[in-house]
Amino acid sequence: MTNLIKLENVSIGYQKNVFIDSINLAIDCNQFWGVLGPNGSGKTTLLKTILNLLPPLKGQVLFQNKLVFGYVPQNEKFDPLFPISVYDLVLMGRYSRVRPASRLSRADKKVVEKSIESAGISHLKDRTFRSLSGGEKQRSLLARAIAGEPDLLVLDEPTASVDLKGEAEIMQLVKEIQSQRKLAVIMVSHFINTISEYSDHIILIDKDNDFFKAGEKDKILEREGLGKFFGLTSILN
Amino acid sequence: MEIFSEFLNSYFLWRDPMIVAAFTGAICGFLGVYVVLRRIIFVSATLTQISSFGVALSFYLEGIGLAVFSSLIGPFALSLILTMIAAGFYALKRDFSRISREGVIAFGFLAASGGVIILGDRIASGVHDIATILFGSAVVVDPIDVYLIPGTAVLVFIIHLLFYKDFIFVSFDTESARLFKYPVRRLNTLLLITVALVVAVATRAMGALPVFALLALPPLASLYITENLKLVFLLSVLFGILSAVLGYFFSFILFIPTGASIAVTASVFFILALLWREVKQ
Repeated sequence: MTNLIKLENVSIGYQKNVFIDSINLAIDCNQFWGVLGPNGSGKTTLLKTILNLLPPLKGQVLFQNKLVFGYVPQNEKFDPLFPISVYDLVLMGRYSRVRPASRLSRADKKVVEKSIESAGISHLKDRTFRSLSGGEKQRSLLARAIAGEPDLLVLDEPTASVDLKGEAEIMQLVKEIQSQRKLAVIMVSHFINTISEYSDHIILIDKDNDFFKAGEKDKILEREGLGKFFGLTSILN
Repeated sequence: MEIFSEFLNSYFLWRDPMIVAAFTGAICGFLGVYVVLRRIIFVSATLTQISSFGVALSFYLEGIGLAVFSSLIGPFALSLILTMIAAGFYALKRDFSRISREGVIAFGFLAASGGVIILGDRIASGVHDIATILFGSAVVVDPIDVYLIPGTAVLVFIIHLLFYKDFIFVSFDTESARLFKYPVRRLNTLLLITVALVVAVATRAMGALPVFALLALPPLASLYITENLKLVFLLSVLFGILSAVLGYFFSFILFIPTGASIAVTASVFFILALLWREVKQ
């Protein structure tokens, strides 16, 4: 199999509650996929199925042998009670390559240092994660994701808690990382501008209307289809 | 000064309880960091009550001639079995339809507390005082505790040294741990088993109140003082030892209940840490 991930006739959802039926999707190296959809449309459910955290209700998800994920979850999900330093947070990204009850090697720690440098957060590494701004948190989570030297980077709304300038900086960093490391990226966002600027492939998803469409950006972002998807036909006209 | 020299001269009386108190303070202070950070303080309170219920049940069964284990290991064995069952239940069962998790925790706490008092009322007088089970004893500990508590503490420390990175990982970011194929459920269960083991062993020796206080207050004080997680663990162990030892000392010289004295001493550390934080800011 040449694809990193292939979804064949997959139904996603929880327990017996099917969100979207018969999804077919193939993700390859060096592709940048943007996932767009309204709140509660099933975007995160799709991501979790792709990450193998949620089993598909039907069909199968095929993974390339020894596929390594880099995952950037939404930063609000971390409990602010934990005084985890940025350095320790990035170390966790390396745990994908270290089994329980074993220690990180010197080489692992070098990779971690390099990831911190690449994300431009060397000056923050002794700070606690909880004390950082939204943008700094996202950079730290990106450093953690690349510390595992992933084949596929999965980002769940990476710019949700940052301002416009911060968003541009983070997206620039993601793009740099992708082109340097030839990674595949899947990114969920609410912002159509961000998705259309950085992605080369797009997924439109809306479970309430049983809608799923995936493909190259130019084919997906055609005016009429988008207007219909967002319920904005009259405004666009 | 006179009181202090009198205390030193009574060395033979307090040596064993002090050893037990110090090791209990150290290991409870250490485990308490997980208890606080995972927001399961009231699970630990419930476990101490269930452990007390196990001790009381053992004495009661012995009193009516239905003892399952010998009188030497009975209180410990029953306490351990019940605490492990409760810990496993709280670790593995996360969703309770229609009611919140804290409601089920409250149920465990209240049922066990009521059970201890009812059984305590029926334990043959002069054999074991129920207040000792709940609040600890100032004067004596069983000779076996001098070995059992330090042995348990060392075993639990070794397990935690071995799995330190893994316990922190699954506690902080369960989702990524699952993504990296870590055995999340087994690690969580092992972590809670170490808590249950310490609670069962320590509650029988010292009582429910001081064990709960040592699990909750030293880590809370440490979290006020430092932002460095490793230092939080170290300080919490230190505060745990100091709370237990000083609490025992005050109990001995002032003739006050040991468990209450340890809880109040730990509370003083918490207040000092809070003041330190306020002054620093």
